[in-house]
Amino acid sequence: MTTPPPALEVQGLRKTYHRAFGRGGHEALRGMDLVVPAGSAFGLIGPNGAGKTTFIKSVLGIVRPTAGTVRVLGGSPEDPAIRARIGYLPERLHLPGTWKSPAFLATVARLKGLKPDAPGLLRLLERVGLSDAVDRRIGGYSKGMRQRLGLAAALLGDPALLVLDEPTDGIDPMGRLEVRRILQEEVRRGVTLFLNSHLLAETERVCDRVAILADGRVLREGRLEDLARGGARWRVRFAPGAQASALEAAGFVPVGAPASESKGAPGLLVEGAPAEGVYVVDAADVTVLNAALDRARASGALLVDLRREGADLEAVLLGAVGSPGVAA
Amino acid sequence: MDSRRRRKVWLGGALLLFAVAAVMMFWGQGDSGPPPAPEVNFPSRMRGPDFERAEKRRTWVMPTLDAGVAQAPAKPRDPLLAALPRGPGRTAVVIEANALRHSPLGELLMACLMRDGGKNLEQFKALSGVDPFQDLDRMVITDEGLILSGDFSKARYQELLGERVSSDHGPGARVYEAGDTALPLSDGGTRRGRMDNAVGTWNNQMLVVGRNPDEVKTVLDRMDGRGTEQGPPLLDENSTYGEMYGVLAVSQIAKLLGPGQQELAQRLVDVAQNVELHLDTSGDVAMVANVSGMDADKMTDLGKSLGGMLSMARMKAQSEGNTDLAQLLDFAKVRPDGTSFKLELAVPLEAIQQQLAWCREERKTAESQQAAP
Amino acid sequence: MNPVFVIAGYVLREAASRKFILAFMVGLTLVLATVALSLKLEVVDGALAATRLFGNVVRANIVSVDVALRPIFRAAAYLVFYGGILFGIVACSDFAPGLLSPGRIEHLLALPLQRWHLLAGTFLGVMTLAVGGTVYAAGGLTLIFGVKTGYWTVGPLIAGGLACVGFAAVYAVMLTTATLVRSAALCSAAGFVLLVGGILAGFRTDVSRYLEAGVGRASFDAVTLVLPRLSALAVGAADLASNTPLLPGSLGMLLGGVLVFGLGALAVGFWHFEGKDC
Repeated sequence: MTTPPPALEVQGLRKTYHRAFGRGGHEALRGMDLVVPAGSAFGLIGPNGAGKTTFIKSVLGIVRPTAGTVRVLGGSPEDPAIRARIGYLPERLHLPGTWKSPAFLATVARLKGLKPDAPGLLRLLERVGLSDAVDRRIGGYSKGMRQRLGLAAALLGDPALLVLDEPTDGIDPMGRLEVRRILQEEVRRGVTLFLNSHLLAETERVCDRVAILADGRVLREGRLEDLARGGARWRVRFAPGAQASALEAAGFVPVGAPASESKGAPGLLVEGAPAEGVYVVDAADVTVLNAALDRARASGALLVDLRREGADLEAVLLGAVGSPGVAA
Repeated sequence: MDSRRRRKVWLGGALLLFAVAAVMMFWGQGDSGPPPAPEVNFPSRMRGPDFERAEKRRTWVMPTLDAGVAQAPAKPRDPLLAALPRGPGRTAVVIEANALRHSPLGELLMACLMRDGGKNLEQFKALSGVDPFQDLDRMVITDEGLILSGDFSKARYQELLGERVSSDHGPGARVYEAGDTALPLSDGGTRRGRMDNAVGTWNNQMLVVGRNPDEVKTVLDRMDGRGTEQGPPLLDENSTYGEMYGVLAVSQIAKLLGPGQQELAQRLVDVAQNVELHLDTSGDVAMVANVSGMDADKMTDLGKSLGGMLSMARMKAQSEGNTDLAQLLDFAKVRPDGTSFKLELAVPLEAIQQQLAWCREERKTAESQQAAP
Repeated sequence: MNPVFVIAGYVLREAASRKFILAFMVGLTLVLATVALSLKLEVVDGALAATRLFGNVVRANIVSVDVALRPIFRAAAYLVFYGGILFGIVACSDFAPGLLSPGRIEHLLALPLQRWHLLAGTFLGVMTLAVGGTVYAAGGLTLIFGVKTGYWTVGPLIAGGLACVGFAAVYAVMLTTATLVRSAALCSAAGFVLLVGGILAGFRTDVSRYLEAGVGRASFDAVTLVLPRLSALAVGAADLASNTPLLPGSLGMLLGGVLVFGLGALAVGFWHFEGKDC
């Protein structure tokens, strides 16, 4: 069995935007290396000006790289045959306001070299939740509806790679659920998803791999659970009536307490609203954890809930970039 | 092909295309300006030279009867115009021989007249003592005969007409009746002939040819102001523009129209009164015919019929591939103006040149033969 | 379907939604309808005998219909040529900048088509629009006068075709300008400059005479040698429309030259757009 080539492979990618008449320039990408495995759901995050848009445009052949190589689905993005297998949703998709959605999709389908399939287009519109709006002009669509139509256009032709730039921007919470469901369906079908979203929770929920881009370079990249692994901190909830002093003596720290004593991973805070019976405990392994729990139970405390506490994506990003100016 | 190579191809292609475009446009338009647009001067009114010419011809002060009453001095007049017939239904066409000879059309006609190398002309000059190219100024064709004006002081009237019965007719005028004519030959001998026309001479300036002496006398009387007819001459001084001009009786024009146009001829006779004609040969040959009548509606209808006839003739010429005629009729138009209309026709000089090319060829041949020993 | 045609269809669909283009077509229809209803021509044996406009007799000569219509067709040819190009410059100036605008160009470039397809498609779409408008105007005029006089000629339509070729050269420059600066105003300006240059180029021999000999005249001659000779083409269009003899030279070569210039300008646009970061 052969390993499929990566959906996206970038080596030493540099892009410098030169000003007119050679008056200096701006280096947007400074030697970027990245591999996106086929079939993965990959999220790209980073602060403003990190080079994310330039990177996506380079991947799609919209921007010509200054140096480095880009291989998409095993070929060059300049090859139309390769781009035919890519579905792309730009961040600010400009749609023709006087058209209706089936006509727009039909045009995109023709540009993708697909055979005319009006029922197929209607099914696609139904899938993205626009079946009620097929007779309306696009100019009258809400922002969310436009995003859904853009997503439908990206999904045309069953692409092998979906490059989505802020796909849930402007969509209401229920709509986000729908979009998330569609993306997850696509990933399950084996489609590689490359997602750029400023909604880190969205990325966290959809993607299994993440790269953090800052200042034109990839700072961290890997499986989400590996990046977010917080170390040995556990969140425990005991039934009301547990003796706080006994629990604290057993190594449990109530949530909301100062974090100075925490031995967790850097950047982790024992924060949150103080809640009765909720504690955290640091345990290097399960033996230590069970010993601590045994001590708590010995003091009469009854365990209600136990879960491992890891770092969320925002914390991972903050930890990587070290700056509060976080955005997609 | 990657984008860099493709760019090179586009740039190279662009430069090549610009070069090809420049060559094609240069070739297509050329680098010389367009020739001047053909312009036809239709003789429609007196112009400066016409006024000057008319002014110079006012040489004759008609003698007046002394009635013992003080009269304002009579203004000098053009004797030729005074000699023209009067009244409706008459015809008089003036050919400005001198002006015509110096026009492009005149040069073409001269080539035709001189196509024998000028032998006949020399014979005529020797015979009559008159050089038509030098001495003849105007020629008038009327329904009464012919009037020639010019300088006939060297004319050999005595040798030519001496045997005829003749009589003086007023001061400076003499009338010769029809009779025998002695024609001197180049070898010194004479040949006798007979002319059935009466001839009148007037002050070595006019030569009048008529069917009989009375007609000639009538013309001479008009010149001297002794005519009995009422009304002005057919042409006044303000109508003496063009190289050929005059008034044609509609009956004369009707006779000129072919058998296929008898209906039009009859309408012309019924509706129109007279036709004043002017021909300009200073460039392309342009003719203006001012047809006047009494009934505006009938004249308009006649104008439309004439316009339609010209249009049909043009279309026929086009369909038959007769480009010269089609080109000729291209300039044809009728200008309605109440109880009259103007008919304008033009013949491109080039078309006439092509038609008369044989004259030039024959003249060259004759001249080269004369030059050879 | 070839992506060029799809993009052309995209542009045409966009144009159809432009209110002022629709207004122009409606206006044109009204003008043609007014001419058709208000003009009465009396033809006798192929000669235009009388003309009535809004019931009033227009004093005119009685001449063959085709000769009488010459000045009308000639004026119409000039109107279609220069008026059409001017309207095209204004009306079509923002098609290319619109297509190259952020949010649209990224989406299009991510689709499986070559970059030149976009420009060629836009060019084709606009030219289809120009040809359609010209055929409508010139065809309408021919139809009206044909029905009223019985004189049928394809001259005005051919003249309209020449106008379209002239506009092709102008629009190619506008399109190339759009790849340099995404501005409808600058595209229009480039179109106007080329139109003026093209008029001068058509009269280059006459104009050159008035320039002082030296670098200035040499530069003028060199520049106008390459520029499309639009005024010469307009004269040819008017001659064709009025069925008058053409000026010496080859109109075909002139026409081809102007068209090839347009293709050259388009190739410059392809060259620049191929290396452009969008």
